Amino acid sequence: MSAPVLELDAVRFDYVAGPPWARRRVPALHGVSLAAGRGETVGLVGESGSGKSTIGKLCLGLLRPQQGAVRFDGAPLDRRAQRGRFAVVLQHPQWSLDPRLTVAASIEEPLAISGTGTKASRRAQVEQMLAEVGLDRDFADRYPAELSGGQRQRASVARALITEPRFVLFDEAVSALDVSIQSQILNLIRRLQRQHGFAALFISHDLAATRYAADRIVVMRGGEIVDEGTAASFYEPSTHPYTRALQRASEI
Amino acid sequence: MAFLEARDLVVEYATRRGPVRALDEASLEVAAGEVVGVVGESGSGKSTIGVALARLLPGNARVSSGDVLVGGRSVLAMGDEELRALRRDTLGFVFQDPIGTLDPTARIGRQLGWMIGGKPGDRELVEHLERVRLPDPERTLRAFPHQLSGGMAQRVSIALALARAPQAVIADEPTASLDASVRSEILELLVSLTREAGTALMLMSHDLRAVRRFCTRVAVVYGGRVVETAPAQELFSSPQHPYTRALLDAAPGAEAPGETLRPIAGIPPVLHGAFRGCAFVGRCACAVEACSVERPVVHSDDHDVLCHLAPVKEKAA
Amino acid sequence: MSVTFPSPTPAAPAAPSAGRRRPRVPFKGDPLGRFGLFLLIALVAIGLFGPALPIGSPTESTGDRLAPPGDGHLLGTDELGRALLPRIVEGIRETILIATGVVLVATVVGVLAGCFAALAGRRVDELIVRATDVIFSFPVFLIAILVSVVAGPGRAAAMAAVFAVTLPTMVRVVRAAALPVVERDFVTAAEVAGASRWRLLRVHLLPNVRGVVIGQVAYAISLGMLIEGGMSFLGLGVQAPAASLGSLVGSGRLYLTIDPAYALVPGVVLGLAVLAFNLVGDALRRETDPTLEREA
Repeated sequence: MSAPVLELDAVRFDYVAGPPWARRRVPALHGVSLAAGRGETVGLVGESGSGKSTIGKLCLGLLRPQQGAVRFDGAPLDRRAQRGRFAVVLQHPQWSLDPRLTVAASIEEPLAISGTGTKASRRAQVEQMLAEVGLDRDFADRYPAELSGGQRQRASVARALITEPRFVLFDEAVSALDVSIQSQILNLIRRLQRQHGFAALFISHDLAATRYAADRIVVMRGGEIVDEGTAASFYEPSTHPYTRALQRASEI
Repeated sequence: MAFLEARDLVVEYATRRGPVRALDEASLEVAAGEVVGVVGESGSGKSTIGVALARLLPGNARVSSGDVLVGGRSVLAMGDEELRALRRDTLGFVFQDPIGTLDPTARIGRQLGWMIGGKPGDRELVEHLERVRLPDPERTLRAFPHQLSGGMAQRVSIALALARAPQAVIADEPTASLDASVRSEILELLVSLTREAGTALMLMSHDLRAVRRFCTRVAVVYGGRVVETAPAQELFSSPQHPYTRALLDAAPGAEAPGETLRPIAGIPPVLHGAFRGCAFVGRCACAVEACSVERPVVHSDDHDVLCHLAPVKEKAA
Repeated sequence: MSVTFPSPTPAAPAAPSAGRRRPRVPFKGDPLGRFGLFLLIALVAIGLFGPALPIGSPTESTGDRLAPPGDGHLLGTDELGRALLPRIVEGIRETILIATGVVLVATVVGVLAGCFAALAGRRVDELIVRATDVIFSFPVFLIAILVSVVAGPGRAAAMAAVFAVTLPTMVRVVRAAALPVVERDFVTAAEVAGASRWRLLRVHLLPNVRGVVIGQVAYAISLGMLIEGGMSFLGLGVQAPAASLGSLVGSGRLYLTIDPAYALVPGVVLGLAVLAFNLVGDALRRETDPTLEREA
């Protein structure tokens, strides 16, 4: 495999809790290593408290590891300096877009932040991106309130991909959607990844959705990686007891 | 006998674009102590059934026909005092947005006190919160709703819903607004507490997996009608209605590795009046001529299906 | 019974509600709000254009002391023979200007501080919240007395008091409205895209708290007018020969038995002004619902 796009190297992270006079350290990650290469989707499954959302924040530069390193294209991750090269699609469709901005303005925002292109060229990019995520052009000037949950999530995928990022984090990106919409968005993500070749981390509590979206899966529990394998291997009953429990929970 | 029952219920909302029919002769029964899952996409009308059971419909809604019964009594015919007693003692509600459901100006202890009597600090209040497995009940009692996480607030809502030992709890997407990772804990809690107490539970959800796991019977709602009702295992292993089948096909979980999921083509309908045929006809892969001109009637024994193609069994009255 | 449609209507988008669309007619279908707006416009117009009308000077004596209403002077005269009508017009102008001006400054400061508290993380937040608590816990009149000691009683003292009362509430209201917005996915997405705090504030926070702020401004102005009134009534605020509604009530109170209209008329006008701003505030709040759009 070529050099990873995103790499977590023996990352430790503790949260600090409690009032100033009685600070406690609450460990969240105990030395986790993880890498996603170009065109690869790594699935990250686990229940609440497993540390998967902490990993998400570390990968976006919203948290810094206390030990170990988060590297992006071989260099230490820097959110401002490397902006536009990574992006995120989050959980709640009702809050994924700013209700006061038009869909086009929301999708355009990452370009506006990095000051790429002119207003007209950005608009053209937005319209192209809308087409790519399967939204009609006249969605551009609508407000989020006029969109369904699935349409909003499509728009947030468009916003994530508009800067042609090298890495995209999908954090419970389909969890809040109706099942019939889930499969649409999962298929969309798969198709776009094939076209654009970004590396991806697909975080979810839902093993069924994750093994569908990912190439490789990492199972986390209590801040540690407890199981790992190709996505296809997760279609077979696992011998690992915790993975097996997750499999049972995701049966339909 | 059914404890909760919606009988051919038609509910319409007045909107700026004319009437929207949320329920189009929906029929549903929940027996005492039963855990029934109500599955449907957003906009299918499942929430409307829930609020109609306590006549909590918003101001622009109108029950055009049909009836709602709780314990055999028509809710639509109830007087004010009886209706209050129904809402207060007989039914418990858990809604999607727990923080929005709680009174933002009062501490949790006071709100719980309103439900069961008693002052903040009473041992009894603490016990109520211990039942919903809140880690630090004393502290939670002193907290305001906005100081709680979504999961904690939903536990509080469950404690409030169960505080007066209702005979039925209606939970409308109780986990949809919560962080995905705490959802199953909250559902487990809700189901185990209602089961222990022998309380009927109507769980409205779009999460098929949760419904399969927790419910004894499942009703599938589409286009304002209950299109299929069956014991949970049977519904998931041999779905009869084409919509149910399409829904199960679309959900990740049953596919083989490398297989592509098949989303249901098209989008759910918005009804403006009684629909002449089957509301699923536009998206149904196996529609026949009758589907667009004739309303399907229920084919019933233990497994009710509202479809022209369903194997015809005894027709229920 | 109901109409039958041949096929399910395809368009599914939820009705575009509240969110963006503002009715062209202000407060359509809201009689209380309209009444408040009418009152407010009337008072502001009197305050602004009243002095230009031929109603006499507010500071020159007519030589006729404590004249009752009517009788050549529409609202009578005060103890120095100054005509009350122009003094009340002057008072309306002074009271509204002080309250509005100070509240607008407090709003700018409050919105920035409140949004910054919500954005900047726990420590800064804590600092700003505690600072507003300190201002809030100071007795208003103590602040006013301090200012009058330093700068002498007058407009400045009244303004300081109004500022001290309205600022902390504004900070709190804005912060409370901004906190949930900061947690929203769209703000995280913008942060990940490299947005600066200033950009988050400008593009996402301000538009989303706007509705709350507008309503709060109206309330704050009405409160500001009461504070100014109280200060000037006690003689700590606006000083003669200038006039505010409060100072007029204050000086008129001495002659309540001889010339009840002297204190009563400015008092009633102050009450109406407070009512007007409150009604408008309520109506604005009803119209620009602060809760973000949700799916039906």
